[in-house]
Amino acid sequence: MKRILILMLLVFISIAVLFTGCKKKAPEKVTLVYGTTEKVTDMDTASAYDFHTWEIFQNIYQGLLAYKPGTTELVPGLAESYTVNAAGDEYTFKLREGLKFTDGTPFNAKAVKWSIDRVMALEGDPSWLVTDFVKSVEVVDEYTVKFILPNAIAYFPALVATVPYFPLNPNVYPEDKIVRDPSEMTGGQLVGLGAFKVSSFKRDEEVVLDANPDYYGEKPKVDRIIIRYFADATTMRLALESGEIDLAYKTLNPSDIKDLSAKSTFTTNKLQGPYIRYICYETSESIFKDKLLREAMSALVDRQDFIDKVYLGQNAPLYSMVPMGMIYHTDDFKSVYGDANVAKAEELLTKAGYSASNPLTFTMWYTPSHYGDTEVHLAEVLKEQFEKTPMVKVDLKSAEWAAYKDKWKSKEMPMYLLGWYPDYIDPDNYTAAFAGTSGSKGMGINFSDPEWDALFTQEQTNPDPKVRQQVFEKLQKMWTVDVPTTPLYQGNLYVFTNKNVSGVKIGPTLIFNYNQLDITE
Amino acid sequence: MKGLLRYAITRILMTIPMLFILLTIVFLVLRVMPGDPVSAMLGAHAPERVIEEKKEELGLNKPILVQYVNYLGQLARFDLGNSMVLKQRVSAPIKEKLPATIELTFWGMVFTLLIGVPLGAYAANKRRTGRDFGIRLYGNIAYCIPVYWMGLMLQLIFGVYLKWLPVAGRTSPRMLSSQFSKTGFYLFDTLLAGNMRAFNDVAIHLLLPSLTLGIVLSGIFVRLTRANMLDVLKSDYVLAARARGVSEKLVVYKHGLKNAFIPILTMLGLQFAILLAGAVLTETTFSWPGMGRLLMERIYLRDYPTVQGVIVVFALMVSVISLMVDLLYAAIDPRVKY
Repeated sequence: MKRILILMLLVFISIAVLFTGCKKKAPEKVTLVYGTTEKVTDMDTASAYDFHTWEIFQNIYQGLLAYKPGTTELVPGLAESYTVNAAGDEYTFKLREGLKFTDGTPFNAKAVKWSIDRVMALEGDPSWLVTDFVKSVEVVDEYTVKFILPNAIAYFPALVATVPYFPLNPNVYPEDKIVRDPSEMTGGQLVGLGAFKVSSFKRDEEVVLDANPDYYGEKPKVDRIIIRYFADATTMRLALESGEIDLAYKTLNPSDIKDLSAKSTFTTNKLQGPYIRYICYETSESIFKDKLLREAMSALVDRQDFIDKVYLGQNAPLYSMVPMGMIYHTDDFKSVYGDANVAKAEELLTKAGYSASNPLTFTMWYTPSHYGDTEVHLAEVLKEQFEKTPMVKVDLKSAEWAAYKDKWKSKEMPMYLLGWYPDYIDPDNYTAAFAGTSGSKGMGINFSDPEWDALFTQEQTNPDPKVRQQVFEKLQKMWTVDVPTTPLYQGNLYVFTNKNVSGVKIGPTLIFNYNQLDITE
Repeated sequence: MKGLLRYAITRILMTIPMLFILLTIVFLVLRVMPGDPVSAMLGAHAPERVIEEKKEELGLNKPILVQYVNYLGQLARFDLGNSMVLKQRVSAPIKEKLPATIELTFWGMVFTLLIGVPLGAYAANKRRTGRDFGIRLYGNIAYCIPVYWMGLMLQLIFGVYLKWLPVAGRTSPRMLSSQFSKTGFYLFDTLLAGNMRAFNDVAIHLLLPSLTLGIVLSGIFVRLTRANMLDVLKSDYVLAARARGVSEKLVVYKHGLKNAFIPILTMLGLQFAILLAGAVLTETTFSWPGMGRLLMERIYLRDYPTVQGVIVVFALMVSVISLMVDLLYAAIDPRVKY
């Protein structure tokens, strides 16, 4: 028995050691290995609603409109041009001619209509981005398609650039059901019109993308991108340091970011993302129904303090729900509350009937893994900040993401922490989603005010930039008065690459165009 | 032989109530836990009607007792059911991930034995010397070290500083497993394909995670082997062998170790369950795509059938190993008769 075991081990080790030093064969294709701790969800534009899966879609499919890499400038994608009627409720797109999906199926207006109708019919999580804004789609001719909207929508072009609007191949996707894995499709392959095509898909292990030779746009500089999925951030960092991956993106721990930034062997790409974090209050039934308390909490928050303590200075303080770098952003929370304004908070709490002997006592909720390992520390520091006045006592509780969502629906959490990646690049997506009656209910905030709803309708339907600016400036001022949420910070994104990698361009849209990436051997 | 067969059948039958109790607990705990698969799957924007339809489709709106009876009925037909989150049979991801876990735990066990047993025997032979003390200290430290910490240290030393071994995954990213994967047992698959480059790649990827498991679990085997060897070395037949002039090496490592092996074998069976638990953590540390990671991910998604399926498979594996260990007694110890 022992002999067999020793023999097995010797064979194992000797072969491993013997071959370790062997010269590796030069790879046939120029390959870049990209590491991430993200996960792929459904490989279906009608259902996926997460940052990473959308990133893959943006590289294997295309929208009628697209963003110029690294910018918020909308440029023609699969549509050469578009026109809008005088009422602003009909958009007609002229499609590029002669394009084919990677299986040879021709791309035309029917494919666009079929894809949009499918998203509307399947009612997946992101379907509201279509159903709330599109009444119907008409095929005008082979290469012309018309979107009929229920009313004028000022930011419709930005919506068209989102994933649920991407045309799919009708010969591959089933019409009546959501696809989770490419194996469920006809032919078992994801077939798109983008710069890359999926050549291998192993959930939670790796996705292999090969350059699409028929892509009409800027050709990829590498032949192959392998996305490798890591179970935790530390292992991903070690894999970057040991040379197993060429690029690490989302999500490294703050301490890893600090260490890697200091190393000259890697290139650090720091980007100000449109990702924001904020405190939510249940405003209809909980103790925070009283807006004085929401104001008091906003005054007690000390943004730079938790950014330094929890994120090692790697994020930026945020004083509005509209992020910095986006049109119409103002810093109203800074001028009204500032940071760690204990005197103002105590004044507001006294007005609300609380004192040191009768403190405001509530539970603050957080979710321990959805926003990374730092979330518990953020919650602890916020508790510390709130308790700087003896008039507040905070109890901390956590729930896993699935339970967390249930709890906000059932109004169990008076105060809780959330984060937001935009669905489309417009201030509307950062405001109406939280303070509009319908959006607010979905987030568990349950804030409702006809005056606010009227303002949202105005900014959504009026394409005049001046009018929209006035509305958003007013809304941001009103936010400091009614405080449906308290903005905390805006996330910076870090992409670390080996020195031989170039072309990392991720703009405020968060779209990561892989065709810009290059690697020298 | 007849007795052996009767014993084996009895043991197999005994696993049925064990599985039943285990599954009942898991079934209830999963459903008592806050959160449900529909919320995890559909997200915050899904209309109430769609949520209800999904619950209806998955049978989640039925009373728990009905769900439980249905599940047991499925199991009786050897059917683990369908995943609630992905459109696949529960058996599909298990079939895909199980070989990775078996490969890892097998080599983890090999390293455990190769490190723990010889070191324990050697320490017993050198009782109360500096070397004995050193090995005992190693045994205690290895026993206390958390598996993820050990993994991290080995990754740092061999992966980052020395750059000898890879730190994550079953193969290098550029070595596409789809080119050789047939059974899922990559060492075997690469040999079958005659692809020595891939075999080497798979072997070096396996080395660190299995060594991590091996080191951590070797602690208890060092202590156990040493204690048993000390008893054995005091026995009359060892004294007689020495008196007959048999060499010390033969006395200790052949006669002594063989007789001390029965409790070690028992421990091996018991430790297998701990080895599987260790594999769950090791798989996370090394981004190893096995059953442990599958279990963790599906717990987050509240994919009840898959979690239950993985636990059934884990329980069966532990039962099979315990049975094998019991049967091995007969082969090792002639006094044991079934």
